[in-house]
Amino acid sequence: MNTWEYAESIESSSIVSIEKKYGIFFDGQFQSPNSKKYLKTISPSTEEVLSSVALGNKSDIDSAVESAKSGLKVWSKLSGTQRAKYLFKLARLIQERSREFAVLESLDGGKPIKESRDFDLPQVAANFFYFAGWADKLDISWNTKGLKPYGIVGQIIPWNFPLLMLSWKVAPALATGNVVILKPAESTPLTALLFAELCQEVGLPPGVFNLVTGDGTTGAALVQHPDVSKIAFTGSTAVGKYIQNETADRDIGLTLELGGKAANIVFNDAAIDQAVEGVVNGIFFNQGHVCCAGSRLVLQEDIHDEFVSKLEKRMQSLRVGNPLDKNTDIGAINSKEQLDKISSLVNEGIAEGGSIFQTDCDLPTDGYWFRPTLFTNAQPSYKISREEIFGPVLTTLTFRTPEEAIEISNNTEYGLSAGIWTEKGSKILWAADRLQAGVIWANTFNKFDPSSPFGGYKESGFGREGGRHGLLSYLKVQS
Amino acid sequence: MNEIKKTYKNYVGGKYLRSESGKTFRIALKSEFYEVPLTSRKDVRDAVVAAKKGFTEWQKLTPYNRTQVLYRLSEMLEGNIETYQQILEDSGLSKSKAKEDTKQALDSLIWYAGIADKWEQMTGNLNPVAGEYFNISHQESLGIVFTLNSDENSLNQLLLNILPSLVTGCSVISFNGDNSIMALKLAEDINNSDLPAGALNILSGKFDQIIDDVSNHVEINAMAIYKQLPSTDKKIIRENASKSLKRIFINPPVSGLESLLPFIETKTVWHPKGR
Amino acid sequence: MSLTKETKNTLSWSDTVELIDNLRVDEVGLKERVASLATRSIKKDSKLQALNYIVTMCDLTTLEGEDTEGKIGQMTAKAIRPDPSNIEVPSVAAVCVYPALVSKAKEMTKNSNVKVASVSSYFPSGQAPLESKILDTQFAIDQGADEIDIVINRKAFFEGDYRKMYDEIVALKEVCSSVHLKTILEVGELRTYENIKKASLISLAAGSDFIKTSTGKISDGSSREACYLMAKSVWDYKEVTGFKAGIKVAGGIRDSKDAIRYLVIVNEELGSDWLNPDYFRFGASSLVDDVLKQIKKLKTNAYQSGYYFPRG
Repeated sequence: MNTWEYAESIESSSIVSIEKKYGIFFDGQFQSPNSKKYLKTISPSTEEVLSSVALGNKSDIDSAVESAKSGLKVWSKLSGTQRAKYLFKLARLIQERSREFAVLESLDGGKPIKESRDFDLPQVAANFFYFAGWADKLDISWNTKGLKPYGIVGQIIPWNFPLLMLSWKVAPALATGNVVILKPAESTPLTALLFAELCQEVGLPPGVFNLVTGDGTTGAALVQHPDVSKIAFTGSTAVGKYIQNETADRDIGLTLELGGKAANIVFNDAAIDQAVEGVVNGIFFNQGHVCCAGSRLVLQEDIHDEFVSKLEKRMQSLRVGNPLDKNTDIGAINSKEQLDKISSLVNEGIAEGGSIFQTDCDLPTDGYWFRPTLFTNAQPSYKISREEIFGPVLTTLTFRTPEEAIEISNNTEYGLSAGIWTEKGSKILWAADRLQAGVIWANTFNKFDPSSPFGGYKESGFGREGGRHGLLSYLKVQS
Repeated sequence: MNEIKKTYKNYVGGKYLRSESGKTFRIALKSEFYEVPLTSRKDVRDAVVAAKKGFTEWQKLTPYNRTQVLYRLSEMLEGNIETYQQILEDSGLSKSKAKEDTKQALDSLIWYAGIADKWEQMTGNLNPVAGEYFNISHQESLGIVFTLNSDENSLNQLLLNILPSLVTGCSVISFNGDNSIMALKLAEDINNSDLPAGALNILSGKFDQIIDDVSNHVEINAMAIYKQLPSTDKKIIRENASKSLKRIFINPPVSGLESLLPFIETKTVWHPKGR
Repeated sequence: MSLTKETKNTLSWSDTVELIDNLRVDEVGLKERVASLATRSIKKDSKLQALNYIVTMCDLTTLEGEDTEGKIGQMTAKAIRPDPSNIEVPSVAAVCVYPALVSKAKEMTKNSNVKVASVSSYFPSGQAPLESKILDTQFAIDQGADEIDIVINRKAFFEGDYRKMYDEIVALKEVCSSVHLKTILEVGELRTYENIKKASLISLAAGSDFIKTSTGKISDGSSREACYLMAKSVWDYKEVTGFKAGIKVAGGIRDSKDAIRYLVIVNEELGSDWLNPDYFRFGASSLVDDVLKQIKKLKTNAYQSGYYFPRG
C-alpha cells in the first residue's frame, strides 16, 4: 500500500540580497558603529552565517538619541495628515516587497515561509495601514484634549515575530508624533535593517526612525539613556522586571509585553474537532515561540481520553522541516540556547512524572529542531505546568467543574491570554468575566488584528498595543 | 474645443450609461460645453437596483478592505489631480484656489479612508446593564443612501458629500446638478479603484424633476441633502419619506466623526452570562 | 478492486441515536482548517502521483434527460482509455449513469475493469414512496449495475424524521446486499455543518459503503468543507465500529488543482489507506480532461489544449 509523500516545494531565496555587513541606522543613513564591534547572525535551520551586524554600545545609543532629537524637531512640525502619508507609503512598500521580507524573516528566524508569507507580512502591512489612519484623527480618538506624544521612544523587540513586533511598535509611535530608536533582537536583525532601507526610500525625515542592533548590553544602554521619554519592551518577564526596576528613578513612560503560560480550556460541550485544531494552533504555531501560546491544555476530565487521542493523531500530521519549504508547518527553534532551554524543561517534566508523547517525524541533521511534544498525567505543581517553555511543548491538566477550570487557569503569575472552548455562549461570557487575562479567545486562538488591543494582566506586562486603546501607549496625558 | 469630444455619462452599477430617456442638459465651462445625462425616474429606479447589489458586495469586504479601496481611490485621484484642477479653473476658480481645493480633497479622502476600520470603535460600545448580561451596541450601515450634492464647484465638497455614507458601509447614489462634470469625472477614478460595482453610483440631472420619485422610492433607506433647498422642497421630501419612514438628513455635518453618525443603525444584542 | 466487507456495518437505531446526539461543529474553525490544508504545495512527482490517483478514482458521469446509447458508447470508451496517446494513463474507476442506460454501459465495459454505477431511489430529489425507490434500485441491479448511488430522503430529514431516513437506507441496502452502495447527502441542501455531520453518521449507521456529497443537479455541489466533515464522520464511525467507509465527492470539481486539494484532505485526515478507488471517488465529467492536460504538461513542460484528448 502506497503512501503519498509531498515533494519539496522550496520558496527560492534568490529574491533576497543580504549584505555581508550592516552598520547602525541614524540620521537617515547606515553608519559604522562607534563600538567597532559586530555580531554574526545565523540561519537557525542550517547554522549558516547570514551576515554580520553591528553590536551597538552606549556611544552608539548616544548617536541615535541625538539623531532622534533632530528628527523630533522636524516630525513635530508636520501635520497628522503628513505623518499619515509617510506611513501609508511605508505600508504600500511593505506590501509590494512582502515576499522578499517573508523569505528574509524565515531565513533569519526559522519560522515556516507559509507563516511569514500568510500571517506575518499581511499583518505587518495592515498595522502600518491601520495606524497611518489614526495619525490625522488623534483629536477624536479619545474624548480628551490633553493627549500629547512622549517624544523620543526607545523600543526593544523579540525574535519570535521580528518584523511584526517592529510594526506593532513603530507604526503607532510614529503615527502619534513620536520618534523611535529601535533595538531588534540579537538573533533576528535582518528584516529591521531592510525596513530601515524602506524608510530611506519613502524619504522619512532623518532621525525619525533609528535602528541600533546589538545584544542585551545595547538594550540596557537604551533603557538607561536619560533623554528617552518612553520605553516599550516585548520580551521575557525577567527582563521586563529589570527594565521597570532600572527606570525607577525617572518619570518615564513604560509599556511591557512579557511572557505567558496561557490556559486553553476545553469543556466537554466544545466542538471537539475544532477545539483540537485550536489547541494545536495555540501551542505549535510558530514553534511555540509565542508569548500568548496556549501552553496549558486545561481539559474537562470526562473527555480526556477521546480528546487526547484526537490531539495525538492531529499532531502526527504536523510537518517539521526546512522553513523555506512551503509545506513545512513547524520550523526551526530560533537558537541553540532556546533549544537547550526547551530540552532541559522537557527532561524535568519527564523526571517529575509527566507522560510524554512526541510525533515521530524525521528531523534535519543541521540546525535546531524540536518535535511537537505533549505531556499528559501532569500536575499543576510541575515545572512544565508553571514555567514558560517557549517551545512546541503542551502540558495537559484536567478539571471537573467550571470553577475549577477558572482556578487552575488563574493560578499563575502570568495573565496574557486564555482560550475557552465550549458551544455554550453564556459559559463563554461567564468564564471570560473570571479569567485574569488580557486577551481571551473563545472557540478560536491566536487571532490578531491591528484594531484589537493586545496586552497582559499581572506579570505578563502592562499597557496595550493595537486598537484605539493602543494609542494610549504612545500618548501621555498633559497635566 | 478638443479634437475628440468627450462625453460624460452617468456611472451606475460599474457601467457608464446615458439616460434611458435619451435626454441631456448642457453644462458650459469656460473652454468647452458638455451635454450630460438628464437623469429620469427610470434611471433612478435602475440606480437603486445597482445600489442594492453594490450594498451586498460592499458589506462583504472587511473594514480593512474598505480602507484599502478608498486608499486606492486616493492613488487614482492623485494621478489625475491636474485634470480636476483644470475642471475647477474652467468652472471659474482661480488657479491657486483650484490647487488648494484639490489638495484639501486628497487630505479629506485620506482622513475618511483611514476611518473606515475605526469608526465602529468610536461609536459602538458595551453597555453596563444591571444584570448578568453581556450587552453590546453594534453599529450597522443604514443601507442605500441618496445624496443630493452641494452645487459648489469644489472637489473637496463633492468628496465630503459622498464619503461619510460610503465609509460607514452604505451604498451611495450621488446626485449632482450644474456642477456635475467634476462628479462624472470622479466616476472614472472610482471605476479604477476596486470599489465593487454599484457601491457608488453617480448621476447628473435636475433634482426638481425627480424629487418625488426619489423621496417615494421605498428601497432608498436615507436621503442626505447637502445642497440648499427651498422649504417647499424639504416639505415634499419629508412628507413622501414619512410613508416608509425613510431617514432624511438636511445639511448634515461634512467633517469629523459627526459626519458619519447619520448613516449608522445601532443594533443592541443581549446574551446571558452563566455556567 | 475488492469491495466485500467482513464486518456488518450497520448500527441499531438506538446506537445511531446515541451517535448523532449533541453534534457540535464550529463553522469558522472548520473553514480555517480546510483553508489551511489548501495551502499545501503539491509539486513534481507528488503531483504526478496525485494526478494518477485522481484518474483511477473518477466515476465518469452522465445523468441527462438526453442521454442515449450512443452517448454511453462514447463515454465508456473514454472511461476505459482516457488518453489514447499515452497508454500509461490508467482507466477510470467507473461510469455513472441512469438505470435505463445500465445494460448498454455494462455491455461496453465488459472487457475492462471499469465498473458500472447507477443512480436510483428517485434520483435526484428522492421525493417518492419507498416502494418506488426499491423498484428502480432493483431494476438497475437486474440490468447489471455493480454499484448503486442513492439519495437520502431530505423531506424526512428536514421534517426531523431521522428514523424514516435511516429505515429507508437500511431497506435499500438490503436490496443492494450484493452490490456497493453509495448514499448521496446533497450537502448543498443540508447547508449547515451539523446537518452534514448528522446525515453522514445516519447514512453510515444504516449500512452505506460510501457517503457522497451531491447529486450534481443543484448549483451547490460538493465543497471541501463538506468533504472534510464527511472524513471526520468516517473516521469517528471507524473508531466506534471498526468499519472503514468511503467518500465520493461530486458536483463542481472541475480542475486538477481543486481535486488535488480534496486528496490532501483525505491524505491528512484519513490517511493513505483511503487513497484508492475502494475508498475515495470523484464524480466528474470534465475533471478527467484537465487531469490529462496536467499529466501531459508535467511530461512535456508545455501547457496543453483540450483538443488533444477525446470527447467522452
